[in-house]
Amino acid sequence: MENKKSSSPASFIDSTVVPGDVVLDLSSMTNQTIKLGGGLRQDCDAIPAMKAGTLRFSKPNKYWVESSQKRYVPCVEDTVLAIVVDSKADNFLIDIKGPALAFLPVLAFEGGTRRNIPKFEVGTLLYLRVVKANFGMNPELSCTDANGKAAEFGPLKDGYMFETSTGLSRKLLSSPTCPVLEALGKKLSFEIAVGLNGRVWVNAASPDTIVVVANAIMNSESLSTAQQIIMVEHLLKNIQ
Amino acid sequence: MEVDREDGRSQNQLRPLACSRNNLHRAHGSASWSQGDTKVLAAVYGPKAGTKKNENPEKACIEVIWKPKTGQIGKLEKEYEMILKRTLQSICILTVNPNTTTSVIIQVANDDGALLPSAINAACMALVDAGIPTRHLAVSICCCVARSGLVVLDPTKLEEQKMKAFAYLVFPNSVHSVLPEGSPSGQGEPIQNGIITSVTHGIMSVDDYFYCLERGRAASTKLSDFLRKNLQQQSTDSSKAG
Repeated sequence: MENKKSSSPASFIDSTVVPGDVVLDLSSMTNQTIKLGGGLRQDCDAIPAMKAGTLRFSKPNKYWVESSQKRYVPCVEDTVLAIVVDSKADNFLIDIKGPALAFLPVLAFEGGTRRNIPKFEVGTLLYLRVVKANFGMNPELSCTDANGKAAEFGPLKDGYMFETSTGLSRKLLSSPTCPVLEALGKKLSFEIAVGLNGRVWVNAASPDTIVVVANAIMNSESLSTAQQIIMVEHLLKNIQ
Repeated sequence: MEVDREDGRSQNQLRPLACSRNNLHRAHGSASWSQGDTKVLAAVYGPKAGTKKNENPEKACIEVIWKPKTGQIGKLEKEYEMILKRTLQSICILTVNPNTTTSVIIQVANDDGALLPSAINAACMALVDAGIPTRHLAVSICCCVARSGLVVLDPTKLEEQKMKAFAYLVFPNSVHSVLPEGSPSGQGEPIQNGIITSVTHGIMSVDDYFYCLERGRAASTKLSDFLRKNLQQQSTDSSKAG
């Protein structure tokens, strides 16, 4: 049944939308410059949703559909954990769990010249930044920050990498700190790198710690804050 | 005219529906759909780089693989694959990820009538689970015409075999919109009045067919509501965390 909604866009914000739901009507809005994020498309004067998820709004004029998937949609300035698939003369071919392979230019390193090109084997895990993500083109990555400094980007040695959904990655990177990471950090010491493309890398002194941290993060996806803290306490009790 | 259906349902009553998403760990999107005893599992992998040989590289390509419960893959399975591929191609927005392939694999767990509609519903939910951008959802229903001329919805396998003719119909889901009702949206009629796919078997008169369409469209609104509730439930479950 079609529900008659009033033409104020506030009625859909923070509620679940299904593909096909028209969430905005441009002809009835006064401020006609709006920014559409992921999951929304423009169809003449109507803005229907393309994905199922929660419609979010951020002032002054940004709308997007928040959803959690196993695949990644490349966006500029995202930090991702990528795996080297192949190396060519000018680029490394990199897998970032997106629709196309990404390129890492051979010179996109701090102090990179033709003489000191790094040699990455197939399967190397890298922490990188997305520089270009244009429609129809392979995304481009870089091993430096915007100023050209290395800033912790580059290959990750040792440790353990596991895959998660993009929603969980965003939660782990949110501020204030995600409850599961805070609870783990109080008792254990470990190093973690989270890629917005749904990959997480953990490293610690002993393998026990790595396994506990990985399991805790993987279990925390559908739990509330209190449940996450209880779950972490249970896991920590077992190793002590 | 009352009809005695073996499980006591009325003419227009659907079997109990059940749908769950994200069942398979490795698939990028998955859904399991059951209507009564008919159960179908759908898995979606993609979008992955590259299209197949004869496909247009400026659009995304959808590949469907149908796995029957038993037996080898034959012409019937290939026909189902083709129908499913064309249905999914019309609901997906193919220009968003050009030069990619999305694979949809349908595994029949149990066949008790209305198999293709269940598979289409499962595939659509799996696409939503994988985050493939779609124009709207596809809602599918089976209507059959009995020898007495009565139109019955969602038959079981025994009922299907006794029927004179049946039609698998796929409609777009009913949408919530901020547009005021009856506004000219560019096209002539709103999208809800459209039909995506219609596959018929057997002999039925034109009037019977139109009556099937009407009954099917009415049932599709119930199915749309079920899909919407299902999607809302799972999104509130995951938003409780953190």
